[in-house]
Amino acid sequence: MDALNIQKVNKVYNKTVHALQDISFDIQEGELFGLVGPDGAGKSTLFNILTTLLLPDSGDIRILGMDLINDYKQVRQEIGYLPGTFSLYPDLSVKENLDFFAVMYKSDIDANMDLIRPIWRQIEPFSKRKAGKLSGGMKQKLALCCALIHKPKILFLDEPTTGVDPVSRKEFWEILQTIRTQGITVLVSTPYMDEATLCDRIALIQNGKILGIDTPQAIIEHFKGTLYTFKSADIFSLLEALKSCPLQCNYYPYGEYCHIAFYEDMETAMPKFLQFLEDNKQEHGDIEPIQPSIEDCFIEIVKMNRHE
Amino acid sequence: MKELRMILRKEFIHIIRDRITLMLVLAMPVALVLLFGFTISADIHNARIAVLDHSKDSQSQAFVRKLSSSNYFQVVSYPNTETEIDFQFKENNIKLAIVIPQNFENQLENEHNAVIQVIDDVSDLNIASILNNYVRAVVQEFQNEYNKNTSMGEPFSITTKMMYNANMESVYMFVPGIITLIMILVTALMSSITLAREKETGTMRMLFITPVKKVYVVIGKVIPYMIISFISTIVIIIISVFVFKMPLNGSILFLLLLCIIFMLTAASFGMLISTISTTQLDAMMITMMGLFLPTVLLSGFLFPLNSMPMIFQILANVFPAKWFILAIKDVMIKGSGFFDVWEYLTILFAMAVIFISISLKMLDKRN
Amino acid sequence: MNSIEVEHLTKKFGDFIAVNDISFQVREGEIFGFLGANGAGKTTAIKMMSGLLQPTSGTAMVAGYNVVTQSKLIKRNIGYMSQRFSLYNDLTVFENMQLFGTIYKIPRRELKERIMDSLARLDMTKQANLLVNSIPLGWKQKLAFATAILHKPKIVFLDEPTSGVDPIVRREFWNLIYETASTGVTILVTTHYMDEAEYCHRISIMADGVIRLLGTPDELKKQVGVNTINDVFVEYVKH
Repeated sequence: MDALNIQKVNKVYNKTVHALQDISFDIQEGELFGLVGPDGAGKSTLFNILTTLLLPDSGDIRILGMDLINDYKQVRQEIGYLPGTFSLYPDLSVKENLDFFAVMYKSDIDANMDLIRPIWRQIEPFSKRKAGKLSGGMKQKLALCCALIHKPKILFLDEPTTGVDPVSRKEFWEILQTIRTQGITVLVSTPYMDEATLCDRIALIQNGKILGIDTPQAIIEHFKGTLYTFKSADIFSLLEALKSCPLQCNYYPYGEYCHIAFYEDMETAMPKFLQFLEDNKQEHGDIEPIQPSIEDCFIEIVKMNRHE
Repeated sequence: MKELRMILRKEFIHIIRDRITLMLVLAMPVALVLLFGFTISADIHNARIAVLDHSKDSQSQAFVRKLSSSNYFQVVSYPNTETEIDFQFKENNIKLAIVIPQNFENQLENEHNAVIQVIDDVSDLNIASILNNYVRAVVQEFQNEYNKNTSMGEPFSITTKMMYNANMESVYMFVPGIITLIMILVTALMSSITLAREKETGTMRMLFITPVKKVYVVIGKVIPYMIISFISTIVIIIISVFVFKMPLNGSILFLLLLCIIFMLTAASFGMLISTISTTQLDAMMITMMGLFLPTVLLSGFLFPLNSMPMIFQILANVFPAKWFILAIKDVMIKGSGFFDVWEYLTILFAMAVIFISISLKMLDKRN
Repeated sequence: MNSIEVEHLTKKFGDFIAVNDISFQVREGEIFGFLGANGAGKTTAIKMMSGLLQPTSGTAMVAGYNVVTQSKLIKRNIGYMSQRFSLYNDLTVFENMQLFGTIYKIPRRELKERIMDSLARLDMTKQANLLVNSIPLGWKQKLAFATAILHKPKIVFLDEPTSGVDPIVRREFWNLIYETASTGVTILVTTHYMDEAEYCHRISIMADGVIRLLGTPDELKKQVGVNTINDVFVEYVKH
């Protein structure tokens, strides 16, 4: 059985803003599914619908076989939600927040302690501190405990790592992996492309549309161009020069490197490209083929959609 | 039920930890009632009055003694004609005059009824109304004693007749007005603001995706503020009765019941406001403009309703405060009971039911 | 010439030391990446450098002015943009730029010219009269940047300017940063995208109120012996 089955979901705000357009995908039980896309792509709207807070204009959604729209009361017992912004009571202590949500979910902290213990142990020393006074990472861990306190079958996480430093992000993903091993299906959204590879499957989403759904590996394999990477002495002038490159290519800075994807037969294209760089007096390091990252794939897909 | 208890507990934690608001909410009623009370009592304590006694018999003299021995009045002149009274008013020598009819004793004994005229200085309606009230209190007392002492015959009544402002609707008191304002500020404003705060911080969403019943969330929000404003109301009544010697003629229990029903109405109005506002600022502005201001202006508390244009008189019916003030005045001053004011109560209760059902409906909408 | 010179800057809040004796220099026209964990003290340091917060001890010269004694002059000579607050959603693009331009006392006629210029550069002339509310996040951020440099500041502080922005617009944004820096404007930028750290001329990594590492991206990678700035960061900011 699918944990989540979404078919042709649409949502329009104010008659003009198409927040979601014909979104369809399935998530299997026990899967760690990533919704990858920038802010404003429609991720939060989708989360609001999936957490029974918002009705879609059209479409059909089943969660664990239940109809999301009509059986929303039963659905609420089975889902956990970590919203994108801190949404606990700042003037209640850590423990008071946890107690409160446990009762709201008609749940028992002791009975579900096994599930949250690894996270709870990290915030327990601060259990008397007011939630509003916790650091960002601690707040998130508390929110996660509150979202898991009723042992939900599906956990929704809306951009849990936005604005979080790389070390804390790494830690958070390690926590997600342990949650998944408990048999909980996880749907997580993120604007960080590098986090996509940590998911079983991902959906790339932009402007309310799904650009592609697959395992990260398959998405990378479907990269259409031939990707190269090289260093440049002055990346800014290189990018300026490339604007006049006659080859079918797509180039952009990637960290200290320049990534360039060619849509040509490389046997003939590469010599032309080297010649072009020389003509434009661009100093560069070795030009090496490289396997695309999810970010490369996202850029390719978005740019192709733009040209269509 | 466990959920409701938990929500209540949480709400009380919010209130206790928000010291400034708590102090404000508790201190404001006291400050308001003292402010109004002292301003007005400065004018009415030992008010100078004139008595025109047409009878000069033993009962009329007993009544005059009763008047001057009360703390409210100081009889400064005994004119012989009504023109003299007019003159005294114009000289600003007296605030009120009382005219005792001829054959007062006779009327009491034989007809069990007598009409005492009370002539007010209408230049200050508030004071006039308070003084009228005091006269009524003295009359009441006099009546009780008379009925007790004369075992024979039926109890009698005294009708007071007001001059200059013969139609003055009921009597106006600042206490019912303040109780109304406090209850609206504390119950409607606080519950709408704190609900809107939950929307702002996103905790409302977290609550709504739990299986908890929405009605618990709403009740849990309302009860704590009803309790606080109930305490405030009792404090106001205690101060009014013991510090300002306000007469309290009706049943105190019924009065409190009345207050509870009005709080419920005010709180449900607050809920309604919070369902349409998304921020605390919205909630505050809408409560102030949509409820507080109309209450001050249109409830008959500061400005007499029947001297307003028709449109405002009609508009006033929409706001719960008018009905509450009508009821509470009758209870406090006339000593009315349930059967006298049940219509007002029904209106208030119906309003509460309507507001709550609309709010619950609005909260249940998922868009 | 240095446009930022920070010397032994310290800020204490009660017992808590938010910024602990940091010192560094930023050259004119340099893009300086100011990295660190959440709560490492970056925001406090930026507030002190922009004259919004008095240091407990130490000093800093920003755009030639002393942060302790000349904070007003500093505010006039810097630009600031953050991911959290940038533009008013209920004003149009033009009105927003007009508002901020007026705050910085740009003469009215010149202001209009500058606004039209910068909108043309962003290819957003057509959107001038749209409410900020209705334009996509990526554009908003570019617009916020353009607004922050409208008064031609010598230094711009960018606090997580690209958080949540899509990969393509992020690169366009960095293009703007490059362009601006090439005209001699100094840029101090914070980010949690480690690939963006590589775009900076030099970066510093802060943790617990102290600058742990400072240098060009290449130097730092060599020094730590890893291949990416992400690894450098993770190595130095372990919790």
